[in-house]
Amino acid sequence: MEHAAVKKVFQAISHPGDSRKLAKEVVEYLAREHLADPDALHDLDIILTEACANVCRHAYGGAPGRLEVRLGVNPGRWVELEIVDWGKGFAGDARFENPGPDSEGGRGLYIMRMLSNHCRVDRRDGENVVFIHKDIGATQWKS
Amino acid sequence: MEKLTLRRIGNALMLHYVGEITLEITGDLKRLLDAELEGDEVATVVIDLGDVSFMDSSGIGFLVSVNTRMRSAGRAFFLYRLSPPVEKTLGLVQLLQFFQILSDEAALTAACGK
Repeated sequence: MEHAAVKKVFQAISHPGDSRKLAKEVVEYLAREHLADPDALHDLDIILTEACANVCRHAYGGAPGRLEVRLGVNPGRWVELEIVDWGKGFAGDARFENPGPDSEGGRGLYIMRMLSNHCRVDRRDGENVVFIHKDIGATQWKS
Repeated sequence: MEKLTLRRIGNALMLHYVGEITLEITGDLKRLLDAELEGDEVATVVIDLGDVSFMDSSGIGFLVSVNTRMRSAGRAFFLYRLSPPVEKTLGLVQLLQFFQILSDEAALTAACGK
């Protein structure tokens, strides 16, 4: 298994009215330092926004709580993300399927799975972790 | 909500939003639309998404909720002018065929009954 050459941790206090802030911070860093392709950046923006919104809505029952994004980059090859909270977790209720068209919710994990090569939800040592691996083509990186 | 413009065209209500439709804004949009839809005079709702730069699953949920509300009341609901990010997000969750989408101004005029 290859290891990330670049690792960086971003932290925030999650709040329902502020789900975009941390996602934007990570994407702006990737755009500044690593990735040139707007489509790849938009994919990662959606993934991060969905994951952070899940934490804001569910992890702490709508109250503020710790939220962390652990970023790993293997330049020219892939980006990995771990979106971490210390709240109640999915408790075996993680659904990766696309719900019916009339459903008003439940699409977040499906979207994350569709936009990544690998997506899973873990609970370890009190942490709830959404893990994302996304391969990114050689031409999509900054030269 | 300075990024939102509401316009009446006959008995149709058109919403035009500029910016990102995410968890941070969907609650406000729902409350505002609820107030506008009190009474029976609005027969059609159109949401113009041409200037929406980003939309997440909360935004999708908002569109689905408006669609359900309007259809179950025997009223009409349309999307108009999908921006590329919105089209991509709706395509991801396979809802491009689910919503009725107005492709141009002629279709908009016809849908609004003017």
